[in-house]
Amino acid sequence: MNSPDLTMISCHSVGFSVDAPGGRLDILKDINLNLNQRETLAIVGASGSGKTTLLGLLAGLERPTSGDIWLAGEHLNRLDENERARLRRRRVGFVFQSFHLLPSLTALENVMLALEIAGLDRPRHRATTALDQVGLSHRMDHYPRQMSGGEQQRVAIARAFAGDPAVLFADEPTGNLDRNTGESVARLLFDIHREHGTALVLVTHDLNLARRCGRIEEIEDGRLVSGQTGPEREKFRLVDKG
Amino acid sequence: MNAYLLSWRLLLRQGRSGALGLLAAGLVVATAALVAVSLFTDRVGRALEREAGEALAADLIVTGRDRIDDEIARQARVMGLDTAEIVLMSTAVFVGDDSMLIDVKGVSEAYPLRGALRLADRLGGQDEPFIGIPERGQAWLEPRGLRYLEAEVGDRTDLGTTELTISRALVFEPDRGGSRFMLAPRMMVNLADLLESDLLGPGARARYRLLVAGTEGEVQAFRRWLEPRLEALELGLITVADAEDQTGMALTQARRFLGIAALTTVILAAVAILLSALRFASAQRDLVALLKSFGATGNQVMAALSLMLLWLVLVSVFIGGLGGLGAQAIIAQILADGPAGALPPPRLAPVLAGGLFTLLLAAGFALPPLLNLRQVPPMRILNRSLDNRVGLSRLLWVLPILGALAIPVIQLGHMRLAMIVLGGSAVLALALALFGWLAMIVTRLLSRRATAAWRFGLAGLHRRRAAGIVQVTALGLGLMALLLLMIVRAELLEQWRGSLPADTPDHFLVNIQPDQVEGIENELIRVGARNLQIRPMANINLVESSGELRRDDRMAGQINVSWIGELPPANRVIEGEFFAPGATGEVSLADMWAQRLGVRLGDELTFESGARQLTATVTSIREVDWNSFNVNFFVLLTPEAADLLPHQFIASFYLADGDGSVLRPVSRTWPNVSVIDIGAIIERIGEIIDRVSSAAQVVFFFTLLAGIVVLLAALEATRDERRHESALIRTLGADNPMVRRGLLIEYGIMAIIAALLATIGAAITGWLLARELFDFTYQPSLRLFATGFFTSVALVVGSGWLGNRSVLSTPPVRILRTG
Repeated sequence: MNSPDLTMISCHSVGFSVDAPGGRLDILKDINLNLNQRETLAIVGASGSGKTTLLGLLAGLERPTSGDIWLAGEHLNRLDENERARLRRRRVGFVFQSFHLLPSLTALENVMLALEIAGLDRPRHRATTALDQVGLSHRMDHYPRQMSGGEQQRVAIARAFAGDPAVLFADEPTGNLDRNTGESVARLLFDIHREHGTALVLVTHDLNLARRCGRIEEIEDGRLVSGQTGPEREKFRLVDKG
Repeated sequence: MNAYLLSWRLLLRQGRSGALGLLAAGLVVATAALVAVSLFTDRVGRALEREAGEALAADLIVTGRDRIDDEIARQARVMGLDTAEIVLMSTAVFVGDDSMLIDVKGVSEAYPLRGALRLADRLGGQDEPFIGIPERGQAWLEPRGLRYLEAEVGDRTDLGTTELTISRALVFEPDRGGSRFMLAPRMMVNLADLLESDLLGPGARARYRLLVAGTEGEVQAFRRWLEPRLEALELGLITVADAEDQTGMALTQARRFLGIAALTTVILAAVAILLSALRFASAQRDLVALLKSFGATGNQVMAALSLMLLWLVLVSVFIGGLGGLGAQAIIAQILADGPAGALPPPRLAPVLAGGLFTLLLAAGFALPPLLNLRQVPPMRILNRSLDNRVGLSRLLWVLPILGALAIPVIQLGHMRLAMIVLGGSAVLALALALFGWLAMIVTRLLSRRATAAWRFGLAGLHRRRAAGIVQVTALGLGLMALLLLMIVRAELLEQWRGSLPADTPDHFLVNIQPDQVEGIENELIRVGARNLQIRPMANINLVESSGELRRDDRMAGQINVSWIGELPPANRVIEGEFFAPGATGEVSLADMWAQRLGVRLGDELTFESGARQLTATVTSIREVDWNSFNVNFFVLLTPEAADLLPHQFIASFYLADGDGSVLRPVSRTWPNVSVIDIGAIIERIGEIIDRVSSAAQVVFFFTLLAGIVVLLAALEATRDERRHESALIRTLGADNPMVRRGLLIEYGIMAIIAALLATIGAAITGWLLARELFDFTYQPSLRLFATGFFTSVALVVGSGWLGNRSVLSTPPVRILRTG
């Protein structure tokens, strides 16, 4: 049993639906999960199963249509969009599949932008340190188009960690990279996670990447099915290899 | 995060990436056009007022049939205005045994308050400007009066019982303008002499005037004070607006013409700004979602985007303002030494107004799409399908757009014309949208039966139907402006110039006695006078009406009348019937005169000439084209008036050689006849048209730029999507010719709809502008339809083709990878 002060994410009976042309569409149903400080969680599942939507709800990008979510001790259901934005800027970092670097900003400026939005002091110093940490001190003034995919994702990782977030959310962080580059980016992600003591939630198709996490939850047709037994579940019953 | 910092980052970075290019171009073009035209019209306006003021010899005139209460003059002086008093009347003046009817003008100290008199020491002597008025006991007589009376400077004359000495020849008085063709010559005397003569008794029909002049504010304040009192005191007002002559009218038309060009530019710029802002906003949704996922609030994003737009507007206003200043300097240079004379220096106010207006234009057309980005959910960064676009609040659009369009309407100062341009654009936009929509439905039906390239092209239109309708509408508006610029403008100016025919009368002979008519007519034909008209003219008073007469000092009193059996040229009957053959006892009135005096069809009017009275029934009201320079009269009587009224004749004609020297024998043989040469006035009008046409090129340059920005913005709107789709079907095996045909079909259909409606719109707008602005009927030529249509189609297809040529040269995989 986790002590409450160590719980970083907690969600109870969470559901999410949208209005679709054929009527109401339930994307997530009755999701329950907890994540403690420093813990790592992989959410896996088929395309369209709802895993990315779950990631967005846990990060406070959207409010659930039913159930409750707590993030870093805050009850997200009770926060409006602006309050959730303020919570994100203090406690949350993101790494996206398609990097989402601003093409018109240099690597350094991309990292600084997130720090400036968070209102942190000495953004240039922090950004320089973060880029140094991901091995890109020589590429700081380069624009995204001048960098490889792996380098761009390393900039995105530097951006995510530079503000020292409590939770890092990663959406298919190696999905757009070749195997070797993906491997090195994954290693970097987990190294920095250990160093910063951050909780990590990642959504992936990549089972090797998922196995690096302390826990794996599979989502199928909008429901978590990890507790179920069966041959398909066996492969997830692994311990954190990181 | 600091919104200022973020807004600067966005502006600099997005500016560098070119995403803001078209938006900035629209803002710069709008500012430049507005500043250029506002500055120019402000300068010409002030020059015109200065001229008009001179034509009144004052800024404002109070008129009355009795001496104007001194209390009013005192009040004017208390309010800071200068004043002078004049009294006008007609009387017979004797020099020796000769006598003639003279227009006497008694003037007080300080006359004229605006402009200057020109006097000569003797008949035929060199005239010079003169400041001052005739001393007591002296009279200044116009040269033709001196000639007719065979008088010389130094001769004695009688003014009623007062004896005066003719001390100078009065060559020019600034406020003579409107009475250029006055029958009687002028004699100017000291007001005190006229007041002391016995001529101003009851029934003298003198006209009394108080002249006032001062700053614009002082004059307006005095006018506000006086206007409520006018009726009780039985007084009238003459303002500078009443004093404009034909050249003033031509200049006013020129200002409107340029104003409409500026308004067209603004409408186009607004469309360009809206299109580019929509595209820019659409491209920023991912950025906004990303910023929000980092923790930026909706308000921060909104503040940053609004500030970014503000910086962009300020930069654009600076660049556009400089462009506008340069352009108006060129316009002023083109018009320098022209009819308006040296223009007053530019003022800062129109520049600031132009800048503020651009800000409003940006608020109306660029801000709503940007503010809408506030609604972008941060979840979009993970899943675009969860970004349900929320429509813009209607109020957010309506208010600033109305504001942005209201300003040029106010600026143009001519509501009807502004409505034609705005309304015409709105009707065309609706028609374009409707036809665009219908075309989308038809193409959908056709695409089902079509083969590959056609299906790709037609389906493309239907797939992007919302964007397609916007594109067709914007393309049509842009094309219409370009057609107006390229073809209709040239045709309009050509026809405007043509509306003043080559044989427009440029000479008048006045004071022809009945027994001299035949001889003069033969002489004029001999010297090659063309378009010759000789008309009888009598000077009479309107004394009574069966209806109620409205007071209007300008129209009442003595008036020149004529008689004729058939409707003269440049006249059109708008009410009643013109005289039937053999009709007697009827009178036909010019509409302006009838309106001002409140006379209606069927009223009986009694006129008086000396001891004779004549009563006639109003049987028709005429619209007179005063710009035709023919001899025209407010009042036309049936021919029997010739036997009842003492009269003279007036001749108008055109002289081919123009210098008038061939008329010397006329002056020698008939010394009482005065020759008036108005060739200079006609030349001035021709010159105004030429110069306005050149000045318009400068303003139209901005219209052209705005039109091009609209075309580019419209074509850019769907370029990314088109590129992506083309790459996709190339990946699936389509060859380049097929993709090319598909694109050509799609652009071709849009181009045909837009070009067709734009051509029709340009012809209708040209016709309306000609009617309202130039007062003639414009005939769109076949050239407009043929050239306009085919050029438009080629322009749209060509631009679309050029914009998309990279589609075929870039490997599809690269396009697909960049999304």
